[in-house]
Amino acid sequence: MAGGKRTTARHQHNHPPPPPPNPSPNRGRGVADPPPASDDSPSSKRMLAFHFLRALARIHSTTPAPRRPRTIRRAAYSSMARAASPRRAWTQALLLRRARSRGVAVVGSSRRAVLLRRRVSASAPPPMLRASAGATSAAAPPVQGPPPRQAGEPARADALRRIVPGGAGMEYCSLLDETADYVLHLRAQVQLMQSLVDLFSPPNPTSN
Amino acid sequence: MSNRRSRSRQSGSSRITEEQISDLVSKLQDLLPEARLQSNARVPSARVLQETCNYIRNLHQEVDDLSERLSELLATSDMSSAQAAVIRSLLM
Repeated sequence: MAGGKRTTARHQHNHPPPPPPNPSPNRGRGVADPPPASDDSPSSKRMLAFHFLRALARIHSTTPAPRRPRTIRRAAYSSMARAASPRRAWTQALLLRRARSRGVAVVGSSRRAVLLRRRVSASAPPPMLRASAGATSAAAPPVQGPPPRQAGEPARADALRRIVPGGAGMEYCSLLDETADYVLHLRAQVQLMQSLVDLFSPPNPTSN
Repeated sequence: MSNRRSRSRQSGSSRITEEQISDLVSKLQDLLPEARLQSNARVPSARVLQETCNYIRNLHQEVDDLSERLSELLATSDMSSAQAAVIRSLLM
């Protein structure tokens, strides 16, 4: 899904849906987010399967057995991040985390390392990309502590900031938007892995 | 990534912001499993966020469990034929 240049900054997807009818007439530029089904598109699933299967093949041939569960888990999150939009804060956080951990011990090939560095350097670090609610966009630096709690923001938002990648420095509106996108892709990854387990399992289900 | 959304709307759009937050919370609620929350009922934001945290933690746990399971299966299965079968079924 590589087609998002800077001239199309407003369109997160290749097929932007028509904006929903906004009840407030004050320049109704609300969050024209696509329905959840479009983020779960077949092409996105194919990208997810492509990245994860390629990683599994490499793990199968190069990773020693005791380290495979952890490596597979990391590959799962990396595949999620690559299949999703590169402008999402959570994908940038995951890929950046991956690049940092890979910098300590370079295990992959040089081509992959270059690809990772290119992706990380191409995407800007600030996590507040989706400042769709312009009224509440804070000027606080992203790496520091969480922004002051917004009026009406539940206390549980801090828990979300801890478990959503890149959510630490996010303000409330962006956090909600990123969380929805993250849940969609995380669920698709779980479904993919479950399909693989079913297919790899022997025809005699003795483990159940 | 040119951010065209000007910040001049900060002062005068608190009303729009509340509606946007309500829409985003509703979107999150729709993503949760049906058994957890009734989609037609009006649930407070704190409850939706709590259920979302639980759901994400469950999905994280499933990734861990499935990673263990895949690791075991990779050690015993023939990768070439299994991979062909997987690709054929997933990409159709």
